[in-house]
Amino acid sequence: MGQKIIIDPITRLEGHGKIAIFLNNKGNVDRAYFQVPELRGFEKFAEGRPAEDMPQITSRICGVCPTAHHIASTKALDDLYKVDPPPTAKKIRELIYSTFMVEDHALHFFFLGGPDFVLGPNAPKAVRNILGVLQKVGLETGKKVIAMRRELRELITEMGGKVIHPVLGLPGGVSKKMTEEVQQRFVKVGKDAVEFALFSLKLFEDVVLSDSSYVDIITSDAYTHRTYYMGLVDENNHVNFYDGQIRVVDPEGNEYAKFKPQEYLNMVAEHVEPWTYVKFPFLKNIGWKGFADGKDSGIYSVAPLARLNAADGMATPKAQEYYLKYFETLGGKPVHFTLANHWARLIELLYAAERIVELAGDPEITGDTIRILPDKTPREGIGVVEAPRGTLFHHYQTDERGVITKANLVVATQNNAARIAMSVDKAAKSLIKEGHYDDGILNQIEMAFRAYDPCHACATHAFPGEMPLVIEIFNQNGRKVTQINR
Amino acid sequence: MSQSESNGKPKVAFFDFTSCEGCQLNKLNFENELLDILELVDIVEFREAMDDKAEEYDIAFIEGSISTPTCIERIYDIRRRAKVLVALGQCAVSGGINAMKNAMPMEEVQETVYGNDKYLFPSIPAMPVSAVVKVDYEVRGCPMSPPEYLHVLKSLILGRKPEIKDYAVCVECKLKENECVLEKGMFCLGPITRAGCDAICPSNGQYCTGCRGPVSNINKNGAVEMLKRYGFSTEEALKRMKMFNTNELEKEIKWGKE
Repeated sequence: MGQKIIIDPITRLEGHGKIAIFLNNKGNVDRAYFQVPELRGFEKFAEGRPAEDMPQITSRICGVCPTAHHIASTKALDDLYKVDPPPTAKKIRELIYSTFMVEDHALHFFFLGGPDFVLGPNAPKAVRNILGVLQKVGLETGKKVIAMRRELRELITEMGGKVIHPVLGLPGGVSKKMTEEVQQRFVKVGKDAVEFALFSLKLFEDVVLSDSSYVDIITSDAYTHRTYYMGLVDENNHVNFYDGQIRVVDPEGNEYAKFKPQEYLNMVAEHVEPWTYVKFPFLKNIGWKGFADGKDSGIYSVAPLARLNAADGMATPKAQEYYLKYFETLGGKPVHFTLANHWARLIELLYAAERIVELAGDPEITGDTIRILPDKTPREGIGVVEAPRGTLFHHYQTDERGVITKANLVVATQNNAARIAMSVDKAAKSLIKEGHYDDGILNQIEMAFRAYDPCHACATHAFPGEMPLVIEIFNQNGRKVTQINR
Repeated sequence: MSQSESNGKPKVAFFDFTSCEGCQLNKLNFENELLDILELVDIVEFREAMDDKAEEYDIAFIEGSISTPTCIERIYDIRRRAKVLVALGQCAVSGGINAMKNAMPMEEVQETVYGNDKYLFPSIPAMPVSAVVKVDYEVRGCPMSPPEYLHVLKSLILGRKPEIKDYAVCVECKLKENECVLEKGMFCLGPITRAGCDAICPSNGQYCTGCRGPVSNINKNGAVEMLKRYGFSTEEALKRMKMFNTNELEKEIKWGKE
């Protein structure tokens, strides 16, 4: 008799998710669905509001990456009012943004995704958390991680007022100057962050890469998908989180497109499926061909794995070394292994840390001109950043008073949604055989999406409901036989 | 407070409903205090950092607003098992920013997001937790203020009633000697918003968006009159007041609608 497995709520991710696994009469997986069961409707309730409220409203989409929404929204306002912020303001924004990236990537590796690797995917679930990680790596190391994140957050608070839902960005600039004292603190923290990033990469190499059983999991077919990859790049085609052009490479690693954020609607369209609240974006000119990978399917991926694939290198020296090592170890570009996201994330962490040091050392950052007042009549604005979880688009249209008439948000996890759905389906099919599944196997299925660090608060930026992860198992008649709550 | 029998420590649980989960993450950010807190309480449920579960709670912290039929079932179940229930953050206290959608026809909201596929995704208005079950205490703010949360938690562990501020953000802003935001020509909700945040936004060059909800005795008409004096239309003033407070304003405050 067939069965259906549902994993709901999914743990250790931001936002809520549900996995439904349908088994056939042999007990093998017929289809696994990864669902996001809630809708909030931010795009709708933005309508009729002053555009300048948007950096405040949209940061509330997500408590994990409020800074990403805040900055993307602020950049959309720059574009809306056709105002180019002064260099000091841009640098302050990018500095805060880099600090946020270090903090967020560290959160994911040590608190959310890391426990699967540091403790092993089959460890009992009571220890598979940050406390377990602390035990395994030692309390001293744990304290280091904790102290690091705390310092980073204090500095974001210093400039942004709050670390969650910061209030730094204004159209045309930022709201607060940087004093030399704060600048010096950034220089110090930046250096510590570089050390911390190198330490994290070493931990990854020692615990994960030196263990062939982990490497086998990472490179196994269950966690592999050949899709297009998207990421923001600077003028040298290096990874950039704050600004630049969007580059897309095909599954062979060749450049498929490079375009300005303002052109995204020519490149990307969205597809709706009846079983989830997430909309699935795809490359418009290739088309939606269902949940399939390969060059003929318009499905693309974002986030660390994709960003490294979509770029030609990293803009800072140490990160570049690791960039080369990463592709050498994993068999050249592009890397299609979903779980390699964890390693790529740490390389990005190093880049962001080095970028903090660069920006904080720039004398211009303490300049007095932090804002140019907008004086043009607003009409339409688009802002893009690389959120920790991938490319994030904010697009607003307004009337001549700057009151929003239409808003469209294409969010990082949404850009990844189709690939995540495929990953969960494939992992389930590969791991559940003849009706056999246990906690370890179910956790390995969860690992398939946790690697993306998905954020469903963002992906639905939309509302009703709650949604941690539940796994439900259904038989071939659609009757629920098991439910496992996480 | 009565304590669970196992080790004498109160059992504390955290639950999230519709929200951005920022309040929950704010708690993970108390690293210095976290170990002290763990000495005093047993955290028995916290999805974002743990995989495990428990049956009953001395204190249940609820984050997020109620916005689906399943939310309602779940909150009843939690209330039944919780001795003390605390609404954590503005989504739980008032519906928060989620409640902005309540001011619009639900069908329109669904249609904007999902177009013709709107009927596939049922939705109900975003409500505060107190609309469904009894809430014993509140921690306001978006995100909730960490010092205030610690104060409530400590008070409850000690078995006393936490004190909650009920005066305007302007008071805290004045104490910081900030230049008045309205005088600078920007919009500001400081005069009617409940203090407790230490006037973070005005102190950082921004304006108050009212994320802690109105003080309990606001001068409703006075607030609109004041904003009009600074050049904001009644319509704009109301719209912006509703950013975090749609439910309160729709419920008790009918001014500007005559």
